[in-house]
Amino acid sequence: MVNFIASRLLSAFVVVLGVSCIVFLFIHLIPGDPVEVMLGESARPADREALREALGLHLPILQQLQNYYIGLFQFDLGHSLHSSRPVLALMAERIPATLELALASLIVAVAIAFPLGTIAAIRQHTLWDQGAMGFALVGVSIPNFVMGPLLILLFSVILGWLPVSGREGFASLLLPAITLGSALAAVLSRMVRASLLEVLSEDYIRTARAKGLSEWRVVWLHGVRNALLPVVTLLGLQLGVLLGGAVITETIFSWPGIGQLTIEAIQRRDYPVLQACILLISLAYVVVNTLTDLVYGWLDPRIRLGEG
Amino acid sequence: MIAKYLLWLLLMLGLVGCGSPPPEGLRFAIANAAVTLDPRFSTDATSARVNRLIYQQLIDFDEANRAIPALAEWRQLSERHYRFQLMGESLFHDGTPLQAADVLATYQSVLDPATASPHRAALKLIASMAIVDERTIDFHLNKSDPLFPGYLVIGILPRKLLATQHPFNTQPVGSGPFRFVAWPEEGRLQLERLSDQRSVTFIRVKDPTVRALKLLRGEVDLLQNELPSEIVQHLVAEGMQVERRAGSNFSYLGFNFEDSLTGQQVVREAIAYALDRESIIHYLFADGAQLATSLLPPSHWAGHPSLTPYPYDPDHARQLLSSIGVSASEPLQISYKTSSDPFRIRLATVIQQQLGEVNIKVNIQSYDWGTFYGDIKKGVFQMYSLAWVGIKTPDIYRYVFHSEAIPPNGANRGRYVNPEVDRLIEQAESAATQPARVEAYRKLQALVFKELPYVPLWYEEHLYVARPDIKGYVLSSDGNYDGLIHVQRQ
Repeated sequence: MVNFIASRLLSAFVVVLGVSCIVFLFIHLIPGDPVEVMLGESARPADREALREALGLHLPILQQLQNYYIGLFQFDLGHSLHSSRPVLALMAERIPATLELALASLIVAVAIAFPLGTIAAIRQHTLWDQGAMGFALVGVSIPNFVMGPLLILLFSVILGWLPVSGREGFASLLLPAITLGSALAAVLSRMVRASLLEVLSEDYIRTARAKGLSEWRVVWLHGVRNALLPVVTLLGLQLGVLLGGAVITETIFSWPGIGQLTIEAIQRRDYPVLQACILLISLAYVVVNTLTDLVYGWLDPRIRLGEG
Repeated sequence: MIAKYLLWLLLMLGLVGCGSPPPEGLRFAIANAAVTLDPRFSTDATSARVNRLIYQQLIDFDEANRAIPALAEWRQLSERHYRFQLMGESLFHDGTPLQAADVLATYQSVLDPATASPHRAALKLIASMAIVDERTIDFHLNKSDPLFPGYLVIGILPRKLLATQHPFNTQPVGSGPFRFVAWPEEGRLQLERLSDQRSVTFIRVKDPTVRALKLLRGEVDLLQNELPSEIVQHLVAEGMQVERRAGSNFSYLGFNFEDSLTGQQVVREAIAYALDRESIIHYLFADGAQLATSLLPPSHWAGHPSLTPYPYDPDHARQLLSSIGVSASEPLQISYKTSSDPFRIRLATVIQQQLGEVNIKVNIQSYDWGTFYGDIKKGVFQMYSLAWVGIKTPDIYRYVFHSEAIPPNGANRGRYVNPEVDRLIEQAESAATQPARVEAYRKLQALVFKELPYVPLWYEEHLYVARPDIKGYVLSSDGNYDGLIHVQRQ
């Protein structure tokens, strides 16, 4: 296990370094100049050059990359080209909001998907199954930019129960979490159903039933746990996506997360902020995937991580 | 099981959704957050408008965009020598008095290359400054410019804090009618009105639909601009207050003069006749814009009052184009660059359809702002649309149309070169009297209107929407937030 974690940490380090290098080079290649965006057209060439120099953008790209890595190893991600604020402070403002929304969406998704997928599997070809899968189809089909305003209209404007948008306590978290979570729940419930159906046709399930175990114990103790492996993989990937920021949902609900920050950084060509966002997103993927691998071992003891 | 889940969810929603009474403070919804609260660095509209509330500037502008005294009145002692005298007693929010030395320190800081202020270029004509007494400061210029007082719009900062490299961008200290309270996150900025200690919170809500829904539910009290017309109509129907005011933000179609098609006068003229701008204003803006004929609106002191907009005449446009061999079977192909803003794309689609009617096949290319702007600066376009925002002084003509202003030296993106235009710009700038200056600028506008380096589209109106209990907000012609100085909740 220790070997496994050590090797994953090492590969994570290499992945993050590689991603940050690729991102650094690519964002300097795309058209658009941060100095032009900041100064507008009224600036004179000399002032543009002065600002470019003040921001360190006049240096050769490899030297900029070197400076970036030196800063990175000192936990200094630089300052935003746009607002002059430290990038770390900007990230620190956004990370709690992103974590909050990602976890809440995941809870909503799991809370909806597991009962729905399980009912659909154990009541296959019944109205329950068709109803649950119909719900999943609707969930997948409605895009967040439609679902979000509809939920706002119902729960905020018509019923007046929840705030429209913003991040002001638990109440304001519910609608964005339901918007994001319901779309994820739709995919997840189909995965739970398919996986559980496969497991429920296994010999050991027939044996469990032959032993006289109750249907509840057969399904929940023997079936669901073994059906979880592909579901956990999907959950891990989706959590990575959520931690990377859900731009549309964040925009609709004015949720101050990483997604909005990333998009704004791209639009403004704010290189230091964009690099930090991409770094964080790649870190989130690496950490979540490592955790997913660890959960495999717990779910199925036959999987021995880091051995053989 | 499902019923239990739903019951639990509804119960939770009911518990957390307990309503709260409206707060004492006012909440102002904005589409884009302020970027910096340091007036030396603000270039975006929101920052400039918020900074006007926190800081005071030496001058301001009247309805005709003439410079008028704000913090100081001035006298022109010679062609290159201006004397500014502070009026009244002003205190910074930290209690120190605002004096001529603060004005000096602020402008010295802006002019210092090390500060890298984007406003330095506009003030480079200042050769030197000198304090006459505690309340008087002299500006000496390195060349004559009668528009000079109009350039002194930087908010004044306290010299003592400037000396300590105070982070004004996040902890502003000004002398304006509002003081800074908190900026806990980018999209939430809280100020306090000094006259009655009422708080005003700027809340960023990017999505216009959500902004309107927040207003309807009472989560914000007022908002300004950037709302689609259909949403405005809905807000009116729901009993919200809506006010409009003519604006000066100038939208236009720009052309590349180095291109073999758009470089031809006949093509640009045909496009001017082919556009049904009145219908666009009626349907897309719900009549919330005025037809434009020039960069400066007719109400501007240097504006042209009698230019008549090109009429919508598709037959004449087709006739013009047929003279260069364009027909339905051999249409003209033009690419049209615009930003990825949904409204701009919608607008481009309408223009595409209207130009299609006169045998111009338009290929719309929309890009994110950085890429679009980069292409326009480089002259990589045939036709594009953009708007000039916040134009106050007519020196914009030098930036936009003078042959020496081709990027990166200015904003003559279309590479428009006309010696007569250059001559009129220089004549206006060196005119000895105000009437002579106005006369030269009007001749210039008439010539530009005829040659069409831009097809003028419209001036968008400013719009203000508020809940019924909000009173006293007055819309300004440039869209600033000064209305917050007097607004009240009844």
